[in-house]
Amino acid sequence: HPWEMVTTAAMQKYPNPMNPSVVGVDVLDRHVDASGKLHSHRLLSTEWGIPSIVKSLIGTCRTKTYVQEHSVVDPVKKTMELKSSNISFTNLVSVDERLVYKPHPHEPDKTILTQEAIISVKGVSLSSYLEGLMANTISSNANKGREALEWVINRLNAEIEEFTASARGTMRNSMAAAAFVEK
Amino acid sequence: MNSVGEACTELKREYDQCFNRWFAEKFLKGESGGDPCGQLFKRYQHCVQKAIKEKDIPIEGLEFMGGSKGKSEDSS
Repeated sequence: HPWEMVTTAAMQKYPNPMNPSVVGVDVLDRHVDASGKLHSHRLLSTEWGIPSIVKSLIGTCRTKTYVQEHSVVDPVKKTMELKSSNISFTNLVSVDERLVYKPHPHEPDKTILTQEAIISVKGVSLSSYLEGLMANTISSNANKGREALEWVINRLNAEIEEFTASARGTMRNSMAAAAFVEK
Repeated sequence: MNSVGEACTELKREYDQCFNRWFAEKFLKGESGGDPCGQLFKRYQHCVQKAIKEKDIPIEGLEFMGGSKGKSEDSS
């Protein structure tokens, strides 16, 4: 998909069926800087489906984890960069992700995404099995992310088609009315 | 999509609609002059800031939190 479409979809990524745990999105700050790039700071709230009995024991405010996301869109150079890191009350494991969307250098109707994740653990040594598990989860999440954007793009296209169809219908009606009046 | 503060969801929806339209139709096409959503954003922001303080969410390095760049020391 062209870069403009992917970027527009990325700004409206949630809700989507591939990320059901994201329950809230808020914009904390947004501004266009002196060079014309749009900076957005967003807070994502996620809920991991903890059984309600556990929730009633530990209280609902501790079952949400939060992700802080900073994105920069450069409409001239056509790049979108997203950096996100999770905030949680335990702060033991943190995952920082960096995504960059750019137009494909040879195929203008396609967009290239590069994605990296840095996992940091404080005071706990992870066995290599756990590290492998997290790396697998992150790479399957990367696929999920692509599917999620595909879903949002399809939804946006369907909305555009619906709008065009109803506009065409309205025009036909007004043209028929005009032809009738002319007689 | 809901807001972190339940009371802010309607304000958020109004702002989002305005922003998404401006982003796709103006900003990406290179016409970034004049953001028409300023007022909506202010009202929405005010609500979100209150919700974040109430829920004690530790967010680092944000201007409206008084410009502190370090981790918050007072979380429970």
